[in-house]
Amino acid sequence: MICIEVKELTKQFGPKKVVDGLSFSLPMHTSTALIGPNGAGKTTALSMLAHLMEPTSGQIIMPNVKDMRSAIGFLPQYPQFYSWLTALEYMEMVASLSNLDKRALKSECKKMLAFVGLEDAMNKKTVTFSGGMKQRLGIAQALVHKPKLLLLDEPVSALDPVGRREVMNLLKEVQEQTTILYSTHILNDAEEMTDQLLFLRDGQLVEQGSLQRVKEKFQEPRYKITFSHENEAQQFTEQTALQTQWAKNIVYIEILEDRPTMQQLLYQLAISPYEVLKVERQTASLEEIFMKVAGENATI
Amino acid sequence: MQQFKALFLKEWRESVRSFKLLWIPLVFILLGISDPIMNYFMEDILKAVGNMPEGFMMTLPEFQPADLLMASTGQFQSIGLLVLIAAYIGVFSRERQNGTATLIYVRPVSFTAMYASKWMVASIIAMISAIAGYAGSMYYTALLYGTVDWMKFFAMLGTYCLWLLFVMAVTVAMSAAFNTSIAAAVTIVIISLGLFIDSLFGGFWSVTPWKLANYGIALLTDSVLLKTYWLTVLMVVGLTILSIVLGIVMSRKNMRQLKI
Repeated sequence: MICIEVKELTKQFGPKKVVDGLSFSLPMHTSTALIGPNGAGKTTALSMLAHLMEPTSGQIIMPNVKDMRSAIGFLPQYPQFYSWLTALEYMEMVASLSNLDKRALKSECKKMLAFVGLEDAMNKKTVTFSGGMKQRLGIAQALVHKPKLLLLDEPVSALDPVGRREVMNLLKEVQEQTTILYSTHILNDAEEMTDQLLFLRDGQLVEQGSLQRVKEKFQEPRYKITFSHENEAQQFTEQTALQTQWAKNIVYIEILEDRPTMQQLLYQLAISPYEVLKVERQTASLEEIFMKVAGENATI
Repeated sequence: MQQFKALFLKEWRESVRSFKLLWIPLVFILLGISDPIMNYFMEDILKAVGNMPEGFMMTLPEFQPADLLMASTGQFQSIGLLVLIAAYIGVFSRERQNGTATLIYVRPVSFTAMYASKWMVASIIAMISAIAGYAGSMYYTALLYGTVDWMKFFAMLGTYCLWLLFVMAVTVAMSAAFNTSIAAAVTIVIISLGLFIDSLFGGFWSVTPWKLANYGIALLTDSVLLKTYWLTVLMVVGLTILSIVLGIVMSRKNMRQLKI
């Protein structure tokens, strides 16, 4: 079952295409991370999905949904609330705006506030809230009308590690009931709960698939050999026939199609006169993968 | 209807919790009572602070009750309206600018309900203020000068409330159409500068929206042709409806200015 399908979505501001021909579809009850560096068009894409912005061209389709705005919950990067309302009053207002049934409204709002852990703060005005509390209220308001699709713009970027954990745990719970699309520029967050990655750069989808697949594609395994002295590393680099990169007393050897094997390398090192401190097999960290995808083709 | 109620409640709470419901009527009461009291004690005031030369004689005009209500109206029209415009000029634009509107506009919300809620709350506060102001003015006028025909007084009050409905409709519509500072400038030009120009050159024409408040006062002394009065009322009602339509259209159009 497809929750939402996006076809050739484009947004142009003047001559600049901020989002350029974006096409993807999200299956029901999956969570998808929209990843990209700042300025890649993540927020613009989400705004169009949330119907806050008209696309220049392209289509957004939600099967079996009449009014998409009723079926979508949206949390912007910096949610702003009315300072004079309490959390409960705010929730009641937005629930009414989403045409929730009047009788169930209050209990539903209270339930949702309890779910995000704001039970004790529900009669406090939102100006007094901390960043984490605001984010949680933001999640509560996005979920109160039980949307089919939950759009979150950088839900954890502005939070400290504790707040980040809280929000991620909440989202994991929510995932069972709804489809989630969230943007982030931190791949480690995406690793936590993602079925699919959409990699955006300069408004275009440059990479798509499961995190596992992206990792395999970009991890580029290599050996890292640490020598005791810089000149040893240099000499080894000059003598060996292998593809190497040399930096101070460390030599990196790229692994291409499983060659060289660890055994081959260790043999070579064993018969060499150099003193080796450490040999390890490495794969690119998520951050490096991000840099690669974000920077790929950038020089071309 | 549910949406309108929710939005109305939100706007109403804003006006109550920011004490607009308290201090704007207070401003109008102060403006309202100042003229009857000041004029009544003018001679004593001049004696006390005037430093008049020996033998100086001055004849103060004999004020009729309607003259004092007229003077109070003048205060409301200049200072009172500015206070009201300033208090409500940001109802749309500030929400867009500070990002609070984003979470409203993602919902299937009707722009008509949104405009109506803002306009009605602003109008209710404005009318409460005007009624309080005129009550204060009338109280001291009745005490110090005498009363007017009550039916005519209420007709005048109703006329002024209609004028305020128009002023607030323009204010909210401009807030929907422009950002706060431009909206303020445009509204003040339409309302306050309009009043000023009409008072300078108003002799050349008889039916303009800016004359409505004066015609309301003129009802007290029967010094306005009823035909002219009703034409003016009709014109103001028409312009109010126009402002409302404009406000709804512009608020929808300005969705793209949202800060996300």
